[in-house]
Amino acid sequence: MDKEQIKKNAEFLIKELPSMEIPGVAKVRCKYKKMVDFAKCFGITDKKYIGSEEEGIIACPAFANSYAVKAFYTLVPGVKLEQDGVKRDLALVPTKLLHASQKYNWENCFPIKPGDVLIAKAKFGKVWVHEESMRLFAQMFLTVKNQNDELVCQITAGAAIAAGGY
Amino acid sequence: MPNISDIKVGQVLRSEFDQITRELLQKYAKSSGDTNPIHTNDAIAERAGLKGVIAHGLFSSGFIIKMLDDFVGKSGKLIELDIEMRGMVRVGDILITEGTVTKIESNRVYLDIKQTTITPVEIKKDGNVVKKFEAGERGYISEKDIARNLIKTKEVDEGTLTYRERVAAPGHAIIELNK
Repeated sequence: MDKEQIKKNAEFLIKELPSMEIPGVAKVRCKYKKMVDFAKCFGITDKKYIGSEEEGIIACPAFANSYAVKAFYTLVPGVKLEQDGVKRDLALVPTKLLHASQKYNWENCFPIKPGDVLIAKAKFGKVWVHEESMRLFAQMFLTVKNQNDELVCQITAGAAIAAGGY
Repeated sequence: MPNISDIKVGQVLRSEFDQITRELLQKYAKSSGDTNPIHTNDAIAERAGLKGVIAHGLFSSGFIIKMLDDFVGKSGKLIELDIEMRGMVRVGDILITEGTVTKIESNRVYLDIKQTTITPVEIKKDGNVVKKFEAGERGYISEKDIARNLIKTKEVDEGTLTYRERVAAPGHAIIELNK
């Protein structure tokens, strides 16, 4: 892809994406085994995270990594863009897409229990390009609630797409 | 369990993890649902120009969350974590996570977070390589690493260890302790 096209694509995305709501919702079912297996990857031994199903557990805070990824994998393909009358994806070369940053906010949030169904909605935040490298950065906000409409986590993910990848 | 009055600005929390293996990345991929094969399949990672599998960005951030949660225990909760993912984390890396207390306000503790990787490359004795680690075998060290003075040496039992030390994830966190 030549420099002019990269610049044109960057301008298009910087104009189109900010504040765009990603259509649909992602539903993530939280299963006891997945929650425990996930916690064990980090060597967690606290019974409140890996205890028996009968005693009851909650998800370890790092479990946010899991539902965030599942939600983004579900939601991002739903981003429909049309540039100069041609439908296009956000990332044209997926291997040039990098996860650049992640912010979790658990203020006033409820813990996750096995059997919970998380419902996530996403929208884009700021989008900008690093002029020298022409790397495009995009913020995505994810709001995650449980089946009772209680907030579970608010996530801001930063994606970076290298020049030629968008 | 920590008490807010015992915490001081400048206090450092620290954890170290040296068991990053392909098996663990496979387990993480399965349990997290992040099944991108660049994290679990060397051939695919090589085709993507990565020279071998890389850990999931959020895999290493999980150790930051664990360190903070271990510290807080039953005395409070995590409020916020904000990190940048700057450097790839690899199999064989030693992951060092540090949180430095920068501010205490009411029952909230603010921390600067720094996650560093130590990547062993090789051990030399009398000028000969006596042990080569994955980073040495697969060529993970770049010209950029050398130019940025990230390559260091230290004496170990078997000889002189060459390794790379770099910050993989800087950031900030807020924890809240019970009143």
